[in-house]
Amino acid sequence: MTDDRVDSPSVVRRLSSVVWLPYDPRTAWLFLLPVMAVLAVVTVFPIVYSLYISFFSVKLTRPLRQPFVGFDNYLQVVQEELFWVAVSRTVIFTLVSVVAITVIALLIALLLDQAFRGRRLLGALLLVPWAIPSVANGLMWKWIYESHYGALNGLLLQVGAIDHALAWLGDPAKTLLLIANAFIWKEVPLATILILVTMKSIPADLYKAATVDGANRLQRFLHVTLPALKPGFMLVIVFMAMVAIRQFDLIFILTEGGPAYASHVMSWQIYVETFRNLSFGTGAALSYILAIATFALAYFIIRALGQRL
Amino acid sequence: MTALAAAAARRSTRYRRRSRLGGLARGIGLFCAAALMLVYVLGPVAWMVSSSLQNEAEITSVPPHWIPDHPSVRNFEAIVDRPAATVTYENRSRIDPVSGGYIPSTARNLLPAMANSLLVAGAVVLLNLLVGVPAAYALAKIRFRGRNTSIYVILSTRVVPDIALVVPFFLFIRKLGLLDSLASLIITYLAITVPFTVFILVSYFESLPDELDKAARVDGCSRLQTLVHIYLPLAIPSLIAVVLFAFLASWNEFLLALMFTQTIASQTVPIVVASFASDFTISFSFINAAGVIAVIPPVILALAFERYIVSGLTAGAVKG
Repeated sequence: MTDDRVDSPSVVRRLSSVVWLPYDPRTAWLFLLPVMAVLAVVTVFPIVYSLYISFFSVKLTRPLRQPFVGFDNYLQVVQEELFWVAVSRTVIFTLVSVVAITVIALLIALLLDQAFRGRRLLGALLLVPWAIPSVANGLMWKWIYESHYGALNGLLLQVGAIDHALAWLGDPAKTLLLIANAFIWKEVPLATILILVTMKSIPADLYKAATVDGANRLQRFLHVTLPALKPGFMLVIVFMAMVAIRQFDLIFILTEGGPAYASHVMSWQIYVETFRNLSFGTGAALSYILAIATFALAYFIIRALGQRL
Repeated sequence: MTALAAAAARRSTRYRRRSRLGGLARGIGLFCAAALMLVYVLGPVAWMVSSSLQNEAEITSVPPHWIPDHPSVRNFEAIVDRPAATVTYENRSRIDPVSGGYIPSTARNLLPAMANSLLVAGAVVLLNLLVGVPAAYALAKIRFRGRNTSIYVILSTRVVPDIALVVPFFLFIRKLGLLDSLASLIITYLAITVPFTVFILVSYFESLPDELDKAARVDGCSRLQTLVHIYLPLAIPSLIAVVLFAFLASWNEFLLALMFTQTIASQTVPIVVASFASDFTISFSFINAAGVIAVIPPVILALAFERYIVSGLTAGAVKG
């Protein structure tokens, strides 16, 4: 072990701030052994193995010959037109979702931050979308968007916003946004909880000081609440971007990438390449590109926001 | 003097009236916002429940019957029905006598799928506790080189998208001969649950006082005894949170189950429910009933243990 982190100043300060901790590496590693063994098998091994596969031409339709091809798989997948379609769909889906989730969650958090009767019950019920399986979420919205008897058509017909039932998911211009809507609905609760806990940690003194200085309600919100919420926003944006970029379940249930590739996101491209074309080498290459993109995204969001905040 | 007092009184009543008016406006505003939020959060689920209780004629009516006129549990009966002795072309699906909506013969698969889901989730929960608790204790209460690195490594494994793990998992599971088995799900679900388990437990153990460790050691406890007798009883809230998260993640997981399961020997609830949704001949009222079945256990757990879930989810948020 060449790891010297334990001696770095911040850690030392942290350790001296707590009362007393024993130095006992043998027991520590013994206690860590099970978790390390499990993670080595179920995460480290697959990640490394996936990299290995991505350099070979592995096709289940041709099981006996699996030659080494170097970076050919990567070159091949990025040269496909569909790859760039998938990239643009994923970017749109992620951007729309993250922005909408953050805004809706902020609004609900502002509501739940007020003192009123029934607030606790409301907060508990907020967990319902978070708890339900994504498959149930998918079919619930599939039925709402249904082209003849769906609730969306029914509601809009009743209020007179449309004069005939529309095939919502069949319209390439709307599909991705409708899927994003289902995703947003399910992810808003977690985002709300994270923003709300940050909101509750804002010291009341800040508001008092702002009021004494003559700030009105809006000014207090803009100059006290919003800046203080930045850590919460950052957490929500990074986490939701990572979840949105890998979204698969809703695509599978609602549209299977269609119509006309309108919802053909990266994870769907990986699924098709791997399990429909049975080309594991290129599938692994695509997976690696997505994994690296996710890492990079998290890193850049944290850096960009971290610097500005 | 009296004029002055009267003016003061007038001013104070005007002030009071304005504040009462303001309070009323605030109350109405809050009520509307709360109602709007409630409709947004629960509306879609309420519509799913309502649809699941409608018969074929009602569910295909325009405009929709938001509340069923003649609620029926026909769909749920089909799910808990005893299986027909043999499946023939004629009885492979039951047709709604009113308008011909189908309830598939595979409706019966939901109960075995629930058993599978429960078994998988139970095993995943148990394994999470077994590997997570000692690790969290060591990371929170023992000083050693590599402590911080270990935390980062454990957490960073969760950043990898599930779909990137699918290819190696598939080849690995196939090589072990575990395709279409519950074991394949239990093993792979550890990848998506263990990092979060360790994270929550470490945050919680760190909040418990270190002096307890010293005191127990002075009294002659071994490390394991300290963990089991001193810290575990104090850590129960975080253990409940961990149990819930691991259970819900396993119960709701879809992608990996889709890859590794083929028959009802190992299919979980999401897989069976998704198979209904992809068959356009099946009545939407039945699909909604299947959805309701899948939704009930996690929703009950979430509402019953709301406090633990919220404190678990926010464990890392406050510290940043």
